[in-house]
Amino acid sequence: MRNGMQASKYRLQGAGLDLALPYLMLAPGLTIVLGVLVYPLWDGLRASTKAYRYGSPVADVGLQNYVRLWSDAQFLNSLWVTVRFVALSVSIEAVLGFALALFCLHEFRGIRLLRTVLIIPMVITPVVVAIVFRLIYASDAGMLTALSAAMGGGAVQILGDPLKAFIGLVALDVWEWTPLMFLILLAGLQSLPHEPFEAARVDGAGAWRVFVDLTFPMMRPVLAIAIVLRTIDAFGTFDQVFVLTRGGPGEATRLISIYGYDTAFKFQQTGYAAALFVTIGLVVLALAFSAIRLLRRIDAS
Amino acid sequence: MNTRLARILTTIFVLAVVLLPIYWLVSTSLKSNREITQEGTLYPHVPTLDNYVRLFTEKQFGSYLTNSLVVTFFSVSIALAVGAAGAYAIARFRLPFAAERKVGLFLLTLRIIPPVVILIPVYLLMLSLGLLDSWLGLIATYTAFNVTFCVWMMESFFREIPVDLEEAAMVDGDSRFGAFRRITLPLAAPGLAATAIFAVLVTFNEFLFALALTATPRAMTMPRGTATLIGRIDTDWASMSAAGVIGALPIVFFALLVQRHLVRGLTMGAVK
Repeated sequence: MRNGMQASKYRLQGAGLDLALPYLMLAPGLTIVLGVLVYPLWDGLRASTKAYRYGSPVADVGLQNYVRLWSDAQFLNSLWVTVRFVALSVSIEAVLGFALALFCLHEFRGIRLLRTVLIIPMVITPVVVAIVFRLIYASDAGMLTALSAAMGGGAVQILGDPLKAFIGLVALDVWEWTPLMFLILLAGLQSLPHEPFEAARVDGAGAWRVFVDLTFPMMRPVLAIAIVLRTIDAFGTFDQVFVLTRGGPGEATRLISIYGYDTAFKFQQTGYAAALFVTIGLVVLALAFSAIRLLRRIDAS
Repeated sequence: MNTRLARILTTIFVLAVVLLPIYWLVSTSLKSNREITQEGTLYPHVPTLDNYVRLFTEKQFGSYLTNSLVVTFFSVSIALAVGAAGAYAIARFRLPFAAERKVGLFLLTLRIIPPVVILIPVYLLMLSLGLLDSWLGLIATYTAFNVTFCVWMMESFFREIPVDLEEAAMVDGDSRFGAFRRITLPLAAPGLAATAIFAVLVTFNEFLFALALTATPRAMTMPRGTATLIGRIDTDWASMSAAGVIGALPIVFFALLVQRHLVRGLTMGAVK
């Protein structure tokens, strides 16, 4: 014992350096976060109330940038594209992920291989995922065209057509993120209690009845968490679209993040773009907090 | 028998859907440009590594790779050190006004906001500091993002470690920080590893901020450099596919090596 009983007791009660320790341990992290995240957040709020020319603020315009958003047809369109993209992708991922998780619930040979392979799509660099899908869709070098040619068909056009490009983007997201849904839901299924299911089997309930009356209701909280996580994440999708379609053809796949990026860096409307991003941030936060409240209600009931 | 067949078929189908696109990427990267666009072969008839060689001799992928490694290494190590300390403080201390819980909640809120929201002001900040197109600018940005994540993930790991062990060490004369360093931190090593792995993945893959904050091979990272290959009119499929393989290979290899630890990070802790 180096310090003796007296000193260690003194320390346990917290004195001197130990009293300041929590603050000293929090300080470095908070400093970085305040400097590089919070200050910019504040600065973005400030910028959103200004008009910019050539990258410098020239006038205070109050909330005009925010008002302008709601009469900007391109903004409203990008919002609509984003909502459609998120809703469609996340619901397909939830259904497929759930089905796959139910399928994998019973151990069988090959399940480990399946789970390992399913990790790949979500860890590959999103930019590379987009390259992979360009290589599938391309009318000259694409996999679909090559497959169609092998079966005697002609070139396949995907990214030149507004609807097909949008579906192609959804397909990319489904490929990349269904595995995440699957992993969350599988873990959820594996943690369900066994007793109710055994009781149901004794009562002779069919598979469908068991799913509707037991599995689905018990899985609701996990399903809700998975959907909320994916929705928040999908709202900020940028890389994949930037590389796959750059928002085109026309505005067919121009998500809100792409429109904001172009407004800021291509059209140099810094203040207006800042207002757009603040709006997105508020929408996502509102979404997240209402989701948390919803989850609490599910938990309570 | 019937369910067994269904299982086998479903497994094969899922494997095909996941692996075929990746096969096509790798296969394209081994073909000549002519074979890619004109012959439309299903596999490389005359396999070549030219596309890879060209990336390093003509397209500066050596720089991109170096930049990615340096930026990832520093931003993850700093965030891990700083984040572990912060997480420990939040997990173990009760401060006046429940300040530690408020800080934790605040960092979580910051994490929910999509990064794109602060893209413009971060760009303006780096512009005013003269840190555009530099390692330091990227490291600072990524460290901050990683800190919010590390604090929040490490906190749950520290909570799982019984506090008695530290108290015993302190009775034996260790200081609180000493107990943290000698007892808690080694016990939390698996958690620290899981956190680091996930941070490496996210940082290495990051594109948006690299796009806005870098402009030359001096600081461009792998994803950012790969995106420069995408032309408006003509697309160099051969280089692009090879770049895709090089960008994906280390990260996939790394992820498969440690897949057990990955799920928790990917699900933001929803799944253990």
